[in-house]
Amino acid sequence: MQRDTLVSFEGVEKRFGGFVAVQKMDFDIRKGEFLAIMGSSGCGKTTTLRMLAGLEAPSAGVIRLAGQPINHLPTWSRDTPMVWQSLALFPFLNVRENVEFALKMRGVGKADRRRRAEQWLERMQILEFAERDISQLSGGQRQRVALARSLVVEPEILLLDEPLSALDAALKVRMQSVLKNLQRETGITFVYVTHSQSEAFSMADRVVIMSRGKIEQIGTPQEIYRTPATRFVAEFLGSSNIFTGQVKAAAGKSVTLEGPAGTFTLAAADLATPPAVGQKVSLTVLDARTRLAATAPAGAFNKVPVRMIGEEFVGATATIYLETAQGQEIRVQKSQDDLESLPLQVGKDYVAFWPHEDGHLVAEA
Amino acid sequence: MSDTAQDINRNPAIDWGLKAYVILAYAFVFAPIAASFVFSFNSDRFPSIPLGHFTLDWYRAVATDPLVWEGLRNTLFVGVTVGVLATALGFGAAYTDYRYKFLGKQVYLALALLPPTIPVVILGLAMLAYLSRIGLSGNALSVIIAHVVICAPFAMAIVRLRLSQMDPDLEAAAWNLGASEWAAMRHVIIPFAKPAILGALFITMAVSFDEFAIAWFVSGLNETLPVKVLGFLQGQVSPRINAIGTFVFVTSMTLVVLAQILLTGRGAKSRPAADE
Amino acid sequence: MRRSLSLYGLTFSLPLLVWQLLFFVFPLVFLVALSFWTVKNFAMRPDFDTVNWVTMYGRGVFWQAYGTTFAFALAAAVLTSLLAFPCSYAIAFKLSEAARRWAVFLMVIPFFTSYLVRIYSWQIFLSDAGIVNVLLGKVGLGPFPLLNTAGATMVGYLTLNFPLVVLLQLFSLVFIDRTLVEAAHNLRCGRIRTVFAVIVPSARVGLVIAALFAFILSFGDFVSPIYLGGGKATTLSILITDTTKSGQQWPRAAVIALTMIGTLLVVAFVAVRFAYKGRSK
Repeated sequence: MQRDTLVSFEGVEKRFGGFVAVQKMDFDIRKGEFLAIMGSSGCGKTTTLRMLAGLEAPSAGVIRLAGQPINHLPTWSRDTPMVWQSLALFPFLNVRENVEFALKMRGVGKADRRRRAEQWLERMQILEFAERDISQLSGGQRQRVALARSLVVEPEILLLDEPLSALDAALKVRMQSVLKNLQRETGITFVYVTHSQSEAFSMADRVVIMSRGKIEQIGTPQEIYRTPATRFVAEFLGSSNIFTGQVKAAAGKSVTLEGPAGTFTLAAADLATPPAVGQKVSLTVLDARTRLAATAPAGAFNKVPVRMIGEEFVGATATIYLETAQGQEIRVQKSQDDLESLPLQVGKDYVAFWPHEDGHLVAEA
Repeated sequence: MSDTAQDINRNPAIDWGLKAYVILAYAFVFAPIAASFVFSFNSDRFPSIPLGHFTLDWYRAVATDPLVWEGLRNTLFVGVTVGVLATALGFGAAYTDYRYKFLGKQVYLALALLPPTIPVVILGLAMLAYLSRIGLSGNALSVIIAHVVICAPFAMAIVRLRLSQMDPDLEAAAWNLGASEWAAMRHVIIPFAKPAILGALFITMAVSFDEFAIAWFVSGLNETLPVKVLGFLQGQVSPRINAIGTFVFVTSMTLVVLAQILLTGRGAKSRPAADE
Repeated sequence: MRRSLSLYGLTFSLPLLVWQLLFFVFPLVFLVALSFWTVKNFAMRPDFDTVNWVTMYGRGVFWQAYGTTFAFALAAAVLTSLLAFPCSYAIAFKLSEAARRWAVFLMVIPFFTSYLVRIYSWQIFLSDAGIVNVLLGKVGLGPFPLLNTAGATMVGYLTLNFPLVVLLQLFSLVFIDRTLVEAAHNLRCGRIRTVFAVIVPSARVGLVIAALFAFILSFGDFVSPIYLGGGKATTLSILITDTTKSGQQWPRAAVIALTMIGTLLVVAFVAVRFAYKGRSK
């Protein structure tokens, strides 16, 4: 265990009857980091968070907080405050009473309670609403109350379960920066569960990607974006072209594979176990690294003949949709300027290509 | 570790204690009902334990009492009439609440729903004084009038609940297809509400069967069965009460179970599965 | 689009309105008039005389009965609520979905059994040679005089109120958002404390309404105080039945009835105010 580890999951598993919600998982949460757990609904991300909060008991394994196992602790004996998706604010208490709740439970005196609650209300810029009922607040204000209610005890760790999902798009973006700043200023470890890639990638220091109760990859947003660990991650992120094939030759870091779309070479395969000849693997290459030309370029490139089927512009970037002879869709992302040199026309034939070192090998699930 | 992880936030001792308490509470609620049933077949004049021998004497005594038969006739006549009238009135009120908005609707609904919350002694006295003033007291009719007042709210509540499950566009769709209001009522609303209407019919009958206080005040010589029971209770205490009680219980429960089957069984079928 | 007055609409709305006006509102209004009538030579005469009010309010017996009735009803409401709460709580939070449905179904059954028969049945349990005393005798205790006591009256009130109170409490408890309970636990609120800090406040409206119904039912009941309490403690309902059934003193009975309605209105108002206190609707 590293020195800066705050939480560790050791072989933790959760079953509901015959259904495995979370498969045996091992990972650490570092002190002071912003960790996002991301995946589609039913992937086990919320169950993982609830086990940490003590709202579900693991079926197997040990969860440690600051080195101490906490499996046996009921949720009220842990300091793992959580922000719910529904926020779960107490409707029969006003804003101040909601924020004071956790302090009251800890036996903090009345005057002290009030002072500390007001500090946090002020910090969250909702002090003026202190005496209001929850029902009188807007969605964004409620969000701030929920954060203040959990943070008022100044915990080491804060758990957030899709807290922004009820907000509209503009407010979501604003709350993301509020959360990120809050985390940076307080140094509190945030564990943030979400299904939204943009939320996870814009706020988190590290991201855990889960699928069907299993961890697919843990890494910084950069790492995950550039080098997805599995085909699932590559597909989930949707920012790479994926080619599947069989390994024809493997020498050191250089791998050649053959698939329906052609024969490709990778300069730096970084799989944990070097692939064997004949093994089925996938190659991913980022949309943004894939290039396009009217005729096949000279030089050491992987090349795929394609036909253009459409284009889409978002701001200054264009995504060009193309199709291989086998009917596989290929995307190429380019800035407007790059495109000016290349006349584009739907139905015309082009060649997609990329240098050997831009390919990345992932295991076939 | 076990497969089904022990929920750390629960204390099994507290959970079992609470469950035991629930059983105790139900025992308290059902003790008098069960005892009445058991002692209706018991020979002792002054029932207690240990039990005497099995007998049908009390049923025989009840069955041979012409006054009991008369009471039963009155009860059935009153009950069926009340059921029909209260259900008709209740349906009308439920439909009014479902479809119309008008000034004073709150008052209308209060009138439709309040009567069961007024103590029966007070209603009994008020009815007795009023009905005798307008010359309607002292017969089965007066009991029917009074019982419809307290039963119609139950019918209304049951039908209203059913109507709230109806797609609000259904009636408009019928109009749009050329049905008149009356035709839409006959071919759309009533068929849809039918299980609730029948359920309300049985429930209101059951309520009327058991009501004794108001009936006692206004019935005069035309006593219903529950009023007879009150008479037995006032006079010599007799296990005949148990025999009648068991009989009335079985009758009421039959009506309730019928209503339940109508309300949930058929109702559920014509409802989308996502409803619950 | 919606015409408020049409033959069609009135066909459905009017009958109930007419019926409840004629046979619910008018009798109650008539009760007010009746309370000012006079009785001479065993015959009632329409009049406007406050003599009934003055006579009844001047009697110690009346105020004693009023006090007894109020105290009994209050005790019954509190006792039923307290005894019913753990039961409703356990049904709402500790039973499976299927078990909960059964529990509700079973709690409905008593509504369709005769209250009189159940009271008679309690006599079998509580009389001097009754089931309870026989059982106590087996362990060398008693016999205790159980019947015709205030305790027996309470048993009767419980019989009357308990199922309704459990159902009303249950109805508000099952609709509590479970994440609120989790949130409280998560903020260091322990098991028992959560009941008082979260569950009771969340269900407050339902709990108060349930207690109110228990109060109303007990306040108006004459069966338990007579047949289990032995009529020793006179309640207002007993006074009404006695006054009405023996003799022609209906105007005086009307005074009692109106006093009861007034009391119930005040109690209901206070209870509802308390239930919604501090809540913006």
